[in-house]
Amino acid sequence: MLRPSASLAALLSAAAALLPATPANAADSDEANTHASYRFSEYDEGALHGSVVGDPRRYRVLSQQLDVDTKLDGGAWGLKLDATHEVMSGSSPWFVAPDAQLRPVQVLSGATIRDHRSALSVALTQNPGTSANTTYTASYSSERDYRAAAIGVERSQPLDAATTLGYGGSFSHDVIEPTDAALYNRITHATKNTASTFASLAWVLDRDSVLQAGVQVNLGHGYLTDPYKLFTYGADILAERRPDRRVEAAGLVRYRRSYAQIDAALHLDYRYAQDSWGLTSHTIEASWYQGLGHGWRLVPTLRWYSQSAARFYAPFLAAPAGQRYYSSDYRLGTYGAFSTSINIRKAIGRWEVSLGAERYHSAKGLALDGGGAAVPALVDSTRVWAGLDFGID
Amino acid sequence: MRPDLLLRLTCALACGAALAACATKPVQPWERAHLARWDMRWDPDSAQTAMKQHAYFSKEGSSGTIGAAGGGCGCN
Amino acid sequence: MDLHRYAFSSMGCPCEIQLETEFESVARDAAAKAQAEVARLDEKYSHYRDDNWLARLCASAGSGRAIELDEEAANLIDFAAALHVQSAGRFDITAGALTRLWDLQSGRVPTQARIDEATARTGWHRVEWQRPRLRLPIAGMRIDFGGVVKEYAADRAAEICRQNGIRHGIVDLGGDLAVIGAHADGSAWLAGIKAPRNPANVYASIELDRGGLATSGDYERVMIVDGKRYSHIVDPTNGRPVDSFASVSVLAASCLVAGAASTVAMLLGLEQGAAYLRELGLPWLAVDADGRTRGTIEVAAK
Repeated sequence: MLRPSASLAALLSAAAALLPATPANAADSDEANTHASYRFSEYDEGALHGSVVGDPRRYRVLSQQLDVDTKLDGGAWGLKLDATHEVMSGSSPWFVAPDAQLRPVQVLSGATIRDHRSALSVALTQNPGTSANTTYTASYSSERDYRAAAIGVERSQPLDAATTLGYGGSFSHDVIEPTDAALYNRITHATKNTASTFASLAWVLDRDSVLQAGVQVNLGHGYLTDPYKLFTYGADILAERRPDRRVEAAGLVRYRRSYAQIDAALHLDYRYAQDSWGLTSHTIEASWYQGLGHGWRLVPTLRWYSQSAARFYAPFLAAPAGQRYYSSDYRLGTYGAFSTSINIRKAIGRWEVSLGAERYHSAKGLALDGGGAAVPALVDSTRVWAGLDFGID
Repeated sequence: MRPDLLLRLTCALACGAALAACATKPVQPWERAHLARWDMRWDPDSAQTAMKQHAYFSKEGSSGTIGAAGGGCGCN
Repeated sequence: MDLHRYAFSSMGCPCEIQLETEFESVARDAAAKAQAEVARLDEKYSHYRDDNWLARLCASAGSGRAIELDEEAANLIDFAAALHVQSAGRFDITAGALTRLWDLQSGRVPTQARIDEATARTGWHRVEWQRPRLRLPIAGMRIDFGGVVKEYAADRAAEICRQNGIRHGIVDLGGDLAVIGAHADGSAWLAGIKAPRNPANVYASIELDRGGLATSGDYERVMIVDGKRYSHIVDPTNGRPVDSFASVSVLAASCLVAGAASTVAMLLGLEQGAAYLRELGLPWLAVDADGRTRGTIEVAAK
């Protein structure tokens, strides 16, 4: 930029006394760009129905999360810090045993677990708020029997005025050291590595709607079994066994439509995933964001999830035939889940208060094709949460 | 099986791209007020999404979203 | 992000503040404070009131008394003094007597005697300004901030909005614009410069993502007597309205600087005004009485 002319310099210096603040874009004000949020949630699983042995009270998780998001260096960098702490308690599915009629009976772990988990993650973004930016992430999670560290990078860049390309990759290294290993003859130490990569395209369709489509591939290698779960293999009860590799491919489509005239918006998400264990899943989620005036907002959400069993899933094997892999973990069975949730929010000055509740129900009949082996111990749960945000603009 | 899935997903993406490219006249910068609304973000409440996704991830066989995956957990 | 618009009347013109925020409460609060600031400046520097410090200052003219100014008023006086020099004496905040004389509601050209009498009561060079004390030595002398206060108010309103958490918005005081910040998605605000004789017709569109835009023009207050055009902008060196552009618009880092540049350019007349604008180096657009445009801002093709 050329040096200002003498006349302009004279004008600018005379004006400086009247307008001492830099008249540049307000984005330079770091204070105005800091955003913090706190969330507290309680997750309770319902008591199991059907044949159960062991304390039927299921999992309960109390969770807190603090996020701080700020700009550095006059807006050239964005820094986001997230800290999470959770306290988990309750019994969990251990194995499934056949009764006299070869019907499955879920056996729950006797002692109720009490564990807590802490996690911290950092995300550093170059050129935040612009359409071309790069984000570097690192995270660490730790609980009594499990530690995980991960790093990642993702990039967003515009291809033209209406299209944005996103892509990135991440890597995670997890260490598992099960509790009571000697007592229950469990492995004492194992590791697992996961690498993932994704690519997505986002389009501005018109002044009121946007669409995004993406694919992701995850590769897991290492100890992928649950060290606490057992399996009734004929007359024996063995530790379950899963393959040491898992490849998952997923596709995701997201649609957002604004109905600004009625202060509302529609969100629709669909995800399809398939993996090398034979598991396929569909997820559909729909949310309606409705402004009610005076800073109130109501957001109801519906979600449907359906998965089909992994090849080696079975509640038990009464007459085994040399299967190498076997698991009765309900999370590998065929089932579906439907959840409804509601979120209410109120803005007060630069603060926002929010409350939410979600009811989750899973059942075999909710799956896309509800056939196949029984899946005992499917979970119903309720989650309630409260949140406080500061620095809204 | 996996190559077949990837092929199908890529075709779906390509069709989507073609569809979007046929969209009507481009949206000018001063017409983007609605798109910049809070409720039009991909993820308006990212703190809540993180907690929610973590809950689904720990009780479902395969869930998640697009983007750099964080570390796992020993949730059971 | 929603666009919230707040329209009000101040400084004798229609005003509007446009703010892009997620929450209406934040926008409403900032707009109220900005509006209050504009009202404060309107009251403090308006020469249409007879009960403010300015009226008292004008009442003290010729009495030998000096009035002590506060910091803000002193800064404005200093600014006006700088403009006086820049415009070779044509920008003169004491020229109020002449402006009133040429009040265009009368529809008549004043007589030379009346012009001479009014000229005797103007002249910044006659004023004793020893910051912070100002003395008007001649009875009937007036100080008129109209040339700078509206643009200053636009910048102040924008700053107040920024201090109250607004990052995207624009202040419009009767066509003088001060940008708070570009749109939430980074795009610029689009300002229309209206055709001088046809305000409904947007002549040129300028993209503003920062700073201010000010327009000086005579297209709202013009007198035509015997086929000759008289603007309301009076040259204090000869007591007559300048033969100048119909309007001058300038883009600068602040609305105050933009307004100063456009006013000085108008006062310097067609030739010297254009030379001044070229020398300043800021984007400018000038339209002359016949509708011809000049300047570095592109005019929309017809």
